[in-house]
Amino acid sequence: MNRRRGLLAAASAGVLIASLAACGGDGNGGDGGDGGEGGESGLGAPWILGTTDKVTTLDPAGAYDLGSWTLMYNMYQTLLTIPAGENEPQGDAAESCEYSDPQTFTCTLKDGLAFSNGNELTSSDVKFSLERNIAIADPNGASGLLASITAEDGGVDPDAIETPDDKTVTFNLNRPDTTFQFVLTTNASAIVDEDTFPEDALASNTEAVGSGPFSMDQYEDGQQAVLTANPEYDGPKAPQSERVFISYYQQPAQLKQAVENGDIDVAWRSLSPTDINDLQGSDSVDVLEGEGSEIRYWTWQLGTPVGEQKAVRQAAAELIDRQAIAENAYAGTVDPLYSLVPPGFPGQVDAFQEKYGETNVDEARKILEDAGVNTPVNLTMGYTPSHYGPNAVDEASEFARQLEDSDLFNVQIKSAEWTQYQDLYKEGAYDVFQLGWFPDFLDADNYLSPFLVDGGFYANNYSNENVNQLVQEEQATSDPEEREKVIEELQQTVAEDVPVIPSWVGKNVAVAGPGMSGVEETLDPAFIFRLWTVSKEG
Amino acid sequence: MAASGGSLARYTALRLLLIIPMVFILSTIVFLLLRVAPGDPVSATVGGRLSEAALDERRAALGLDRPLIVQYLEYLGDVATLNFGQTITDNRPIIDIVQEHGGATLTLAVAAFVVALVLGIPLGLIAGRHRDTPGDLGIRVFGIITYAAPVFYWGLLFQLFFAGYLGWFPVGGSASPVTIFEVPDVTHILLLDAIIAGNTEAITDVLMHLVLPALTLGLLLSGIFIRLVRVNVLQSLKGDYIEAARARGIRETQVMRSHAFRNALVPVITVIGLQIALLLSGAILTEATFNWPGIGNELVQYINNRDYAAVQGIITMFAVVVVVVSILIDIINAVIDPRVRY
Repeated sequence: MNRRRGLLAAASAGVLIASLAACGGDGNGGDGGDGGEGGESGLGAPWILGTTDKVTTLDPAGAYDLGSWTLMYNMYQTLLTIPAGENEPQGDAAESCEYSDPQTFTCTLKDGLAFSNGNELTSSDVKFSLERNIAIADPNGASGLLASITAEDGGVDPDAIETPDDKTVTFNLNRPDTTFQFVLTTNASAIVDEDTFPEDALASNTEAVGSGPFSMDQYEDGQQAVLTANPEYDGPKAPQSERVFISYYQQPAQLKQAVENGDIDVAWRSLSPTDINDLQGSDSVDVLEGEGSEIRYWTWQLGTPVGEQKAVRQAAAELIDRQAIAENAYAGTVDPLYSLVPPGFPGQVDAFQEKYGETNVDEARKILEDAGVNTPVNLTMGYTPSHYGPNAVDEASEFARQLEDSDLFNVQIKSAEWTQYQDLYKEGAYDVFQLGWFPDFLDADNYLSPFLVDGGFYANNYSNENVNQLVQEEQATSDPEEREKVIEELQQTVAEDVPVIPSWVGKNVAVAGPGMSGVEETLDPAFIFRLWTVSKEG
Repeated sequence: MAASGGSLARYTALRLLLIIPMVFILSTIVFLLLRVAPGDPVSATVGGRLSEAALDERRAALGLDRPLIVQYLEYLGDVATLNFGQTITDNRPIIDIVQEHGGATLTLAVAAFVVALVLGIPLGLIAGRHRDTPGDLGIRVFGIITYAAPVFYWGLLFQLFFAGYLGWFPVGGSASPVTIFEVPDVTHILLLDAIIAGNTEAITDVLMHLVLPALTLGLLLSGIFIRLVRVNVLQSLKGDYIEAARARGIRETQVMRSHAFRNALVPVITVIGLQIALLLSGAILTEATFNWPGIGNELVQYINNRDYAAVQGIITMFAVVVVVVSILIDIINAVIDPRVRY
């Protein structure tokens, strides 16, 4: 954890006004590769990645899921990217990018960029790509991330993106937004070929042409994808293998068996904690872990008579034993989380640890007594067995046990299937309910603004004018130190008000068979599986 | 169906016309059941990430905010014109799903049928011929177990034993990634494509992947055939013509082969048609268990995502197949069996 904290803290310096230097571009730099030749010689043997992720489409305008984005990160370039082990955006297609003020962001493209079909990549392609994403506004897409360059009516703002020449792109943001640079690292901003992609409709999977380190050779929906090193790519992400197969599985158990049997070389997302524990004892595979960014938390519904009482929420925060949840419900495959923002992000503080310390029944009792709350408090707890994995019930049971062991709570656990669950928690069927979050991009804001502004996306009726103001401030503040202070204050306010209780942060886990190298390098909080870092002997 | 009249052509026309109300009723039930189930495609896929307002926007963009009757009439109109539309969650034309994945389902179904017939008919004949012997008892128990046990149960056992423990067969999938990549896609049926390409390595690979799923699904059907054939053999053995044959001094083996067994197999043709529905429903579970890239596997995913369009389209396709095959069997029966009046 310390290593990442150091890395991220260092990376945060100059995050806003600084120019973003490109990570190379001569084809010889990246990831210990032997050059960006992309040819047959010198590259590792083909290898197979197995996953249970599902792919929606290969068109960046039509997907907002990790399965699709994993392929896209390897097929397309974005202006900026997050290098392995870091969280500061650096140049990908861009040679440099900078904010001239919090509402104006300008990027200069690298020389000699080309798509895998040989077409030149220019600033016009960048403008086309982002505007088409906004114009299509596909319900399964991520055009919502481009809100800062979207017109008020939800359509394309013709003045938002300027391209004064072939290499320069200027974004005129409709509000101060220092997170926009992170949006440019996501596939919402992936650059597509304007000569190939339809302007107002999604491209078919066979039309998907990018300029990234790999190009798509074959895509069989739900079955497999075959990526081949892109000979036109001449950047820092030089592939270590000529060809990579990705096999798709329906069930984690199938994925586990496949990697155990040697049918695949690497298994990544998603193995259950039980499977991971089991594989850790295997001689034939290596279980590799990196820092993760996926979190779980317990949300209070402030619209219920129980949830609206701050003392009740604070008492529960005093009683939760996160380490026991990590051990008993997840077999130690997750880490305790003491803030809405996971460790490592600039401005992150373990606010709940600081305020509540270790589990303290006496303190919890005192909080309730001081507030005149009768005990035991009858609490309805909700979870869903069909969205957050098979261990969600174990976590709910463990948390309920911890609350009841204090004699301060009587907990009734209820569950519902995912789609029904969403209605129920908004309607107030549970006083406290379990949810999870996977960030869109690696910035603390993405762990705060979606949750805290006027009840957040989960509509839990939490509203704090000061919090709303602080969120606006951190999004508009260009001074890194000042921004970190605001982010700290936000987390401390959350620990005081307890609209949620953070529970755990997951790890990025992969299981590799014999002869594989470079896998561990890509296991970081960005959750980008960088196929180009991985190679296989032979 | 009156005994007095009609022709085979009229009978056939009537049976074909019946397809329309059958598909209509089934489509309506599917449409209503999907809407009665809680949730929708938007909440199933991006719920828990967006605000209620943003979710509503997406519902509106998909037309899910329109009155149910409007959606229903539009759906019926599409079905009537054989336009099954495209999926909501990944924008794929339904017809493409059927085209791309139908070959895998067909391969599995045919292979399973072969397994069922190869196992079910001989075992049924033996059991009927040797009634109440330990062999008969064993075969009956085998038949009941294979029919009664859930198909995924056998699938998981086979995976654990033959793939995991013995390592004889692959765990799942229709072929190794390299085979799928190298065999040119001509017919959307991988085995056929491998044969066309003359790639023996690929043929072997596909067949090895096919063994466990086909055995799993085939066992389910074999139980039915065992019981059916056994009962028919017992019925045949009570027939006057058997008695007469024996009285004429014909050898027992010939009585069995030429009289008892042959007559016992006639009803199997009818049952084969009736088992198409069971075969397809079993295929869904088998495909999910073995990660078999068929239509059933796709259906499970779309059901999980509440993708109304996809589920409606795929189930309607399934329904049409079942109805058409059932009617074809009826017609074949009418042609070959003079006792069937039309």
